[in-house]
Amino acid sequence: MNDMTKAIFTGDRCLSCTSCMASCPVMAAIKDYRGPKLVAPAHGRLHFSQADIETTLEFCSNCKTCDRACPSGVAVSTLNMLQRAEYYKTHKHTRAEEMLAHNERMANLIRKIPFGATFANIGVNIGKTLNVFDKLGIAGERNMPTYAATPFKNLFRRIKQSTSGKKIVLFTGCYINDNEPQVGEAFVKVMNANGYEVLIDENFNCCGSPLVSMGFLDEARAHAGNNVARILDWKKKNIPVVTPCTSCSLMLKAEYHELFGEDVMYEAAQNVYDAFEFLELLQERGEFNDNLKPLNQKFLYHVPCHLKSQAIGLPAVNILEEISGVKVQTADADCCGIAGNYGFRKDKYEISMKIGKKLFERVKQKDFDKVISDCGTCRIQIHHGTDIKPCHPIEILAEAY
Amino acid sequence: MEKATVVIIGGGATGLGILRDLSMRGVKALLIEKKDLINGASSRYHGLLHSGGRYAVKDKEAARECIIENQILCKIGKGCVEPCGGMFTRLDIDDPAYEELWIKGCADSGIEATPITLDEAFKLEPRLSRKHVKSAYLVPDAAIDGFRMAWQLIDSSRRYGGRFKTYTEVIGFDTVNGELRGVKVRNQFTGETYEIGCDIVVNAAGGWAGFIGKLAGVEIGVQPDKGTLIAFNQRIVNHVVNRLHKSSDGDIFVPHGSITILGTSSMSIPDPEDTSTSRAEVENLLKIGEQTFENLRDFRILRAFAGSRPLYIPPGGASGRGASRGFAIIDHERDGLKGFFTIVGGKFTTFRLMAEKICDQICAKLNVTEKCRTAEEPIVPEVSQADKERARKFFPSYGTELAATRLGVERFKRVVERLESDVESRELICECENVTRAEVEEICKEDTIFNIDDVRRRTRIGMGTCQGNFCSFRATAVFADMGGNSMAKDSLVRLREFLQGRWKGIRPVLLGRTLRESEMTRSIYELSMNVTGGEPQ
Ligand SMILES: Cc1cc2nc3c(=O)[nH]c(=O)nc-3n(C[C@H](O)[C@H](O)[C@H](O)COP(=O)(O)OP(=O)(O)OC[C@H]3O[C@@H](n4cnc5c(N)ncnc54)[C@H](O)[C@@H]3O)c2cc1C
Ligand code: SF4
Ligand code: SF4
Repeated sequence: MNDMTKAIFTGDRCLSCTSCMASCPVMAAIKDYRGPKLVAPAHGRLHFSQADIETTLEFCSNCKTCDRACPSGVAVSTLNMLQRAEYYKTHKHTRAEEMLAHNERMANLIRKIPFGATFANIGVNIGKTLNVFDKLGIAGERNMPTYAATPFKNLFRRIKQSTSGKKIVLFTGCYINDNEPQVGEAFVKVMNANGYEVLIDENFNCCGSPLVSMGFLDEARAHAGNNVARILDWKKKNIPVVTPCTSCSLMLKAEYHELFGEDVMYEAAQNVYDAFEFLELLQERGEFNDNLKPLNQKFLYHVPCHLKSQAIGLPAVNILEEISGVKVQTADADCCGIAGNYGFRKDKYEISMKIGKKLFERVKQKDFDKVISDCGTCRIQIHHGTDIKPCHPIEILAEAY
Repeated sequence: MEKATVVIIGGGATGLGILRDLSMRGVKALLIEKKDLINGASSRYHGLLHSGGRYAVKDKEAARECIIENQILCKIGKGCVEPCGGMFTRLDIDDPAYEELWIKGCADSGIEATPITLDEAFKLEPRLSRKHVKSAYLVPDAAIDGFRMAWQLIDSSRRYGGRFKTYTEVIGFDTVNGELRGVKVRNQFTGETYEIGCDIVVNAAGGWAGFIGKLAGVEIGVQPDKGTLIAFNQRIVNHVVNRLHKSSDGDIFVPHGSITILGTSSMSIPDPEDTSTSRAEVENLLKIGEQTFENLRDFRILRAFAGSRPLYIPPGGASGRGASRGFAIIDHERDGLKGFFTIVGGKFTTFRLMAEKICDQICAKLNVTEKCRTAEEPIVPEVSQADKERARKFFPSYGTELAATRLGVERFKRVVERLESDVESRELICECENVTRAEVEEICKEDTIFNIDDVRRRTRIGMGTCQGNFCSFRATAVFADMGGNSMAKDSLVRLREFLQGRWKGIRPVLLGRTLRESEMTRSIYELSMNVTGGEPQ
């Protein structure tokens, strides 16, 4: 890769056209944020002048809408995250940030609360029932994420698969592993039906997406190093790495090399696929198993921002419409507002809900049987904002086999 | 009749240095500039405060002058000098024998040249060509901003009673029996002509010095020597990066605030008014520049510009790069014209020294015994830390330091007050260079501002990434509102001439992203405002 094509240098491409500002959902929700073009590309030229920090950068949710709006290929959000990490070199993280960046700490905390998991699993309201999270700076209005009794890792060992020459490695991702193992199970079922044996690699770390957006860049860098080495290992064996979590896949495919600029990261990215992207590839090669039970249902599809950023179209729509009787309509309502851990922060909760309003209203029209979305936190947000529980599109596909 | 003891012609670095020096010695001096200050070479230049390294082989005298003045300006010019340091790099295609001569030259001239390893060089300047760079040295080069320096010299002179007039052209002289009595001037806007009485006239008109000589009936050998420069959108370098070889075209990169300037060339031209640049010149500079920085063409170019060095050619001397970069002071009493002095040549770096030398001669004539103090006293006082701290709450981030040096103590205070009390004045007029409306308003109110380019030179609006796309109409509106003269009200004309000025520098670099930027400008102004900029120039 030529140095100059690396994301960290793309600020120079900015034409100052303002498209990113016009499309940033956070800017539309709150005036206090200075906005993408003024932070990353514009300030990037001025860093030489004094030691300083753009404090309103804390408002950026890393939803990456700006990157997609940019006609010049500026990696605006990545530059923002790099700046955020600079800030944390001299500032301490709050406890909420610590907690929200580290999935395992959140899980441990919940397990420590007497009956924590039970409360969580009946979907209690964090703030009202247990003041713990509220005090930490985590939005009290949120329901505690539900934790599965058995993480997917353990469930997986019990799944019987026939061996196959065609193999893929599932990058499970934290949310599927800890909270929604049924998505993992559905994934295995779908892959098996397509003649693939699914492997999992217990040496993978969290992809690092929550770490990046909370400014723990060094930790994210360490995760990236490990994961990239693992991916390249699988690549040598000609086994692709596939994930149904769109934030994980974006991280592995694009954000690693955007943030850290190493050629190996770019190389590893070539071996990573979003689940439906992979299925679409099979379809193109005529290898997709289209022996599907009909399903007379209408789905409302919320396309996650981090899927849009992968620029692979809407493979889930294409694949689901292989099922006879299935109709998929996109919600077409922009960002849901949660942006990973962003909407869990007490001070960002309101912004998050304001951004999600358009989507909530769309969902509340209820002119469909089910809402689907590939992203775990998008699903949390939709559920929270509408009381309607969405599922992952792979669960629908699994039903049809 | 208006009177002054000394009239100085030319508001470039040289003339301004003289105004300050004389004013500090208590001499009543008046500077006359035909356009805005630094209309000539003093803004159309590279912005390098030479360590002297560039002259260490060919002209040790000039090298020695440079290093001494460099140290003085770093001390007195904190508001306009960026002590970024410099690096000399020899490439594989450069003569190693020259390196030896250069090391010796630096030692002889008192320039500290510290050899560094290539690893260190690449760490300091990551974009240097790993393929071509063979050796590297650090020298005390710095960057100096002509725009800020000019107005700081004015602020300094004013404190001592110095006066100046811009947009006033000298069109003739009043002499009686071979003795100068005054100058004839014309107001550029009203066309009104009048005389200013004086005892002494200093011709500091740079490349125009020969024309001024003609007006006075004396022959002065000044050859305008055009140099072209390219401004890049960001800092490509952290230090001034020089090629370690016999001085040539396109071999210096200067980090100039938010941008980088690459230059320059050398071409004798008949008229210093010619500041045109061409695609061919740009291409030539890029070709040479990319020997040092391989990926140079991947960096976004903002514009190209050109200025003319006032090279002094003593009868029978060489021109172009062969001509001396030294300066000359001529007392035209030798030509039978008493009270008329010319100062030409030299460098921006040595303007203070040049001023000191000529002011010594003038003071001797006037029987003024005050000594020169320009080397000791800072040009302007620094804005206090307390004021900057207070300002940081209201300024955009990364905006305080730059605005503080642009504005100086008094204006800065007023701008901070304005930002504090009027929330809307915090909005940015220029988003690329981070200029608030409060600052633009403060400058627009001054009686030296007649057009948007004048505002630009004071604030840096229109000089960043978008080259005026968004600030042009905003600044025009502020000027129309705040400007104290009739020029301000004619806003459509002001907008047009400003856009034309921006366009002039963009045209020769209309490639890649710069082209895309231009198309956006065109659509904003032509399609939505019906401003086409008039006839092409
Ligand atoms: C391309 C280039 C790069 C350079 N780079 C460097 C560098 O990096 N470092 C360095 O030290 N030096 C550099 N120099 C040299 C330096 O810029 C000049 O030596 C210096 O600026 C000359 O200043 P001056 O005041 O003598 O002339 P000028 O700045 O040209 O000023 C002359 C002024 O006289 C005015 N004038 C003309 N006629 C009249 C009239 N009839 N009435 C009233 N006013 C009039 C003009 O409008 C003009 O403003 C460079 C020069 C060029 C051209
Ligand atoms: S990542 Fe999202 S929130 Fe952040 S600047 Fe871009 S569009 Fe706005
Ligand atoms: S959309 Fe891209 S080019 Fe336009 S202002 Fe934003 S970063 Fe710059």
